[in-house]
Order: sequence, then C-alpha cells, then structure tokens
Amino acid sequence: MQRNRPPSPQTVNVLRALAADPARWRYGYDLGTQVNLKSGSLYPILVRLADRGLLETAWEPGVDSRPPRHLCRLTGAGRDFVAALAAARSERSATHPRHLLSEA
Amino acid sequence: MPLFFVFLLAPIAVAIALYRRNPRRFLDGPSEDAPLRLLRWAISLLSPQRAEWGQAMLGELAHLDGRWRRMRFATGCAGAALVMPPWGQAAAGLCAMVAITAASFAVYAGLTVHYRLGAGGWFGVGGWIALAVVLLICVGYLLGASALLRRPGIALPGLIGGLFATLVGLALSGFTAIDQVTYIPTGWHRGVTVLAVPAAIGVAGTLWRRDPAAGRRVARLAALSAGLLQLLYATVAVAILGGGGPPDQDGGFTVRGTVSDRLGNNIVHLAVTTLLIALIGWAAAALTGYLVRRTPTPAADPIGEV
Repeated sequence: MQRNRPPSPQTVNVLRALAADPARWRYGYDLGTQVNLKSGSLYPILVRLADRGLLETAWEPGVDSRPPRHLCRLTGAGRDFVAALAAARSERSATHPRHLLSEA
Repeated sequence: MPLFFVFLLAPIAVAIALYRRNPRRFLDGPSEDAPLRLLRWAISLLSPQRAEWGQAMLGELAHLDGRWRRMRFATGCAGAALVMPPWGQAAAGLCAMVAITAASFAVYAGLTVHYRLGAGGWFGVGGWIALAVVLLICVGYLLGASALLRRPGIALPGLIGGLFATLVGLALSGFTAIDQVTYIPTGWHRGVTVLAVPAAIGVAGTLWRRDPAAGRRVARLAALSAGLLQLLYATVAVAILGGGGPPDQDGGFTVRGTVSDRLGNNIVHLAVTTLLIALIGWAAAALTGYLVRRTPTPAADPIGEV
C-alpha cells in the first residue's frame, strides 16, 4: 500500500522548479543547482516522483565519447499535483493569515 | 608474536595483489578517475529496477568538469545509491545487523554510564571519547555490511558464515559469561578459529556461488557479521559479570578498571575476528577460484570419432 505523505519542502522546491517551465526537459545536475540540492538528496526525490507517475524521463543521445544524458520533466499528473499543491497552500494562507505575514 | 607478523604483512600482501591485478585501481587516469570509479561501484549495488537511475547519474557525471565538483556529485550519488530502496530480501539481513549493532552499542553505553568509565581521566571525557569511537566503528561495520548485503546472492551465505564462525567460537570458548572474559585460545583452538573456520567460509562461499569474487564478498560479510555477533555476546557477558568473576591480571584492582579492560578486550577481539576471517577467507576464496578454474574439463573429441 502506498502512503500519501505530504511532500517534503525539498520535494516541493523540485516540483516548483519543474513546473516553472513544464514543457522543458531538465538535466539532473542543473535542477539540483537551481533548487540548491546535493545529488544525494535530489536523486531519491526524482526517483520517488517518477515512481508516483509525476515525472517522465527520456535520454539525450551522447555526444562524442560521452554517454547519453538523462532528462526529466513533469507529466500531466505531475502538473495537476503541483497545481493542487499551490491551491492547498493558498487555501491554507487564506485560513491562517499568519502564513501570509511569514511569507511576506 | 607470529600472529603479529601475520597482521602486519597480510594487508601489505593484499595491497600488492590488488596492485598487480589492476595498477590503474590506485592511479587516476583521464578516462576513469576516482569519482567515476566510486559511482560505478555504488550503482552496481542498485536493484535492477533502479538501473536507469544509476545510468542517469553516470551520464550526468560524464558532463561535469572539475575534480572537486565531480567528487562531490559522485559522493552524493553513492550515498543515495547505498540506501535507495528496494532492498528485496537483503532488507531482512540489514535489519538483523542493525538490531545486533544497536543492542551491542546500547549495552556498551549503559556500562560506560553505569560504571562511569573514563571519568577522571582525560579531563573526565575519556569514557565518552571511547563511546564515540565505538559508535564510529559500529557505523562503519554497518555501512560495509549494507554494501555487501545488497550484492545479489551474498547476503544469505555471508550471514550464515558469520553465524557459523560465531557458533564455533562460542563452542570452543564456552557459552557462559565467565568463559567469555577468561578464554584465551591456545593450541588447536587457535588453528580452528584463525585458519580453519575463515578458510571454510571462503571456500564454501566460492563454491556456493561458483565465483571467487562472490566468495571473497561472502568472507567479508561473514567477517563483519561474526565480529558484531561476538561483540554483542561478549558485551552482554561483561554486563552480567560487571566487576565480578576472576580478577584480570592487567585490569587494575577496581571494578571500574576491570569492566573497562573487559570492554576494551571485546573491541580488540572484534577487530581481530573481523580481520582474520576477512583475510583468510579472502585468500581461501581466491585459491578455491584458482583451483576450480584449473580443474581440467573433459576435452571434446577433436576428430569426432566418438
């Protein structure tokens, strides 16, 4: 049985970074640099998102002697999930105005 | 004294053997540097379902420049690969190892606090420093064991080997708490614990998996698990006896000194047991693999008359 725990702040950051330009394929290292996550934290998050069907992956063919590079972006379900997260967040903020103050 | 020379020379012999087999292992080359080797090793521990992510990490590393940046990326990925699920049946083995290690450390810490070991020496923090060292050793053992447990087909023979070595050791020393603190192997006992059992584990591991590399890993896992099991048993024995039982020759004349000495002996025994089983088992596995390879197979009839 899969547990539906709320995503960690790091996972939310990754999701937001991916959702900023959902059509664009992203490299793992660049994504980690953008959200300020080390590879040891980033890859487990990406694996979990892919397991939940929120992330799709592809390979960029290797150039010269370099191996192919892995790409990822949000699926349709992933975009819906990020939208639901944002909606839940704004709803919470409306219920508890203190959140708005702390985010300001 | 001969045992001392074995300890001194065995690691050097292993290093020479490894260097002769693959000199590049110790040298960084432009095509295969330390981060790449580390990451290759780490992703080999991943389950087949995660193979794609292992290749993703390798592909990403290939596009990174700068030694420090590559090493940081590879170290992070290696850490993630070490713990990334699914673990399959190896999870049960890891849980058992964690439980044994945690129990050993808890008893050790309890004794340190109860007898106030180290209080008064080293500005009153000697006991805590010793405890921190023991914790580091335990964590190191668990990390090593977790890497071996994830290798396919290693967990079961390795843990059985560790249990076997522990049971033989206990059968020779005796099972009571007093046996644990007074036993000193001599004569044929030493031959059994130092040579026969580790060699048997290495040989059995190689024959079980039909692969000398697997046999060496089985010996290493058996060494780690036997060390931890014996540490637990011996630490519990110290907890039962406390400062009681026969007096130690070199443990001082106080209860605190006796307990401290016995716990120290256990840690030395942990290191010796692990090193011996790993080294002798490693050698036995390598020799078995060599002999198995050299065993002639029936040649095919070259003319085809039969």
